Amino acid sequence: MMLNVFRSELFKLRTTRAPKVVLICAVFLPMVIQALIAQFAFKDGVVGSTVIANVSGFGPLVALLIGVVGVLCSTQEYSQGTIRITLVATPQRWTVLLAKLVTMVAVAIGAVVVLMIGCLGLSQIIMNARGLQFELIGENDRIILAFFVLVPLMAILGLALGVIFKSPPGALSALLLWPTIIEGLIFGLLTVATDKNFFRWAPVQNGFQLVRDVLDSEMNSWGVSAMYFTAFVTVFVVLSAVLFVKRDA
Amino acid sequence: MIVVDRLTKTYGSKKAVDDLSFTVTPGRVTGFLGPNGSGKSTTMRCMLGLDAADAGSVTFDGKKYSDLDQPLTHVGSLLDAGDAHKGRSAQNHLRWIAMTHGFPKSRVDEVLHQVGMSDVAKTKVGKFSLGMRQRLGLAVALLGNPHTVILDEPANGLDPEGIRWTRDVMRSLADAGRSVLVSSHQLVELSLVADDLVVIGQGKLISAGPIAQFMTQHAKSWVRVVSPQFDALATLVTAQGGTVERTNDGGDFHAVTAIQVGEIAATNNIVLHELSPQTGSLEQAFLDATDASVEFRGETGSSSEGIK
Repeated sequence: MMLNVFRSELFKLRTTRAPKVVLICAVFLPMVIQALIAQFAFKDGVVGSTVIANVSGFGPLVALLIGVVGVLCSTQEYSQGTIRITLVATPQRWTVLLAKLVTMVAVAIGAVVVLMIGCLGLSQIIMNARGLQFELIGENDRIILAFFVLVPLMAILGLALGVIFKSPPGALSALLLWPTIIEGLIFGLLTVATDKNFFRWAPVQNGFQLVRDVLDSEMNSWGVSAMYFTAFVTVFVVLSAVLFVKRDA
Repeated sequence: MIVVDRLTKTYGSKKAVDDLSFTVTPGRVTGFLGPNGSGKSTTMRCMLGLDAADAGSVTFDGKKYSDLDQPLTHVGSLLDAGDAHKGRSAQNHLRWIAMTHGFPKSRVDEVLHQVGMSDVAKTKVGKFSLGMRQRLGLAVALLGNPHTVILDEPANGLDPEGIRWTRDVMRSLADAGRSVLVSSHQLVELSLVADDLVVIGQGKLISAGPIAQFMTQHAKSWVRVVSPQFDALATLVTAQGGTVERTNDGGDFHAVTAIQVGEIAATNNIVLHELSPQTGSLEQAFLDATDASVEFRGETGSSSEGIK
């Protein structure tokens, strides 16, 4: 049954426009920009860093966009009323939520695979054609792993926020304003007030830290950041699960 | 068979469904009636596990909805025709639902044909009229070929042909031994198809049983008489305890039977041009039965006083 529900969730995502458009933007926008960089940058013939280090700059953007797909995956059900049919077809709410989580993780992993192959592949072809000396990954293989951690976690966070808020504006605001404004305000004020770097405990900044080519020495280590961000996402997943199971549809 | 047993659902301080019990038997169409806000939709949502009941239970052939294996093959439902993504085609809307049960794509095409939507299978739901969405909703309900069907206002927005088709579908489902529960405000339509009625008001049961029993209990009955000697007959009938209401060509006698009026007329050599027992409509019976529990009541007539 679980497999059927998973297939159904994947099909739902495939047959609506908004998630597809955002997903395409998340994957192909960085590929286009990376191709333009490979074509037009490095005029002096010197490539200062690995290609994957350049790609890492897209990490937060890709993660947030996949988070938006997660939001749409859950909020569209409420805004379009299909949640009632979903739960009538599969009354076991844990199964539905699990299927949605697995779907988002699968989509996120798929997106990262395409993104990596596209960015690295295009860069290699173009930069080879230009006769540049460069390294694709070098010692930065950690960044690839980081993409496979950050992007699925953001997808799950978006899904959980969607379940909690039920409406796209609320969930999207929470997803996009938290890292860009709220974390800056809260942790910035705390930093100013105490003269200590509170940004190291800003959850989403810890997530973004994962994909940086050079880790900020004032932030947590890569492992601590990964665990901290995972714990942050887990809190929202648990909250959304409780609401999803208990709440009237 | 659906058994609703002492179902109770409260929203805040308001009891939407209050200790409600009734059964829906196989082979019969059961109409589910109540004024706006009486708790019909809440009851249906509780039946399907969408809203959690505070007390009581609902079983389908002895099982709770959430315990049914492949629930769409047991219970088909149409709660709201708007429950479909406007950007998805009719076919894809049915396909994702079919996928949850592993139904083949051919089953989707079958039900689209059954509801007369094969030609618009690839059209997006957002382009459909309310009537077309109702048909799609019915397709969802019929997708699993269920033996119990729950329909909330299925004829809403349908054209006369669609209304008749819906009626025929419900009748044929019941004739095939399935349980059909249908809520509707179109009482004339319901009177044509329902075998049983469950009437609720303010979440409480007002009446449950065969439609004929409901009419006997709640519909007015009177005797229509046309006679050149009406005044004389009226005096005699009134003396026997009846009441009289004059009409243009005769009058209506209440609180007496046609047999009584006929015998009075015969005994007193009064000529009758018409003597017919009359029964009120389902609408009148429903309005009388639920009058005390109407929550939202509008006013008729224009209020021109405020516009000067």
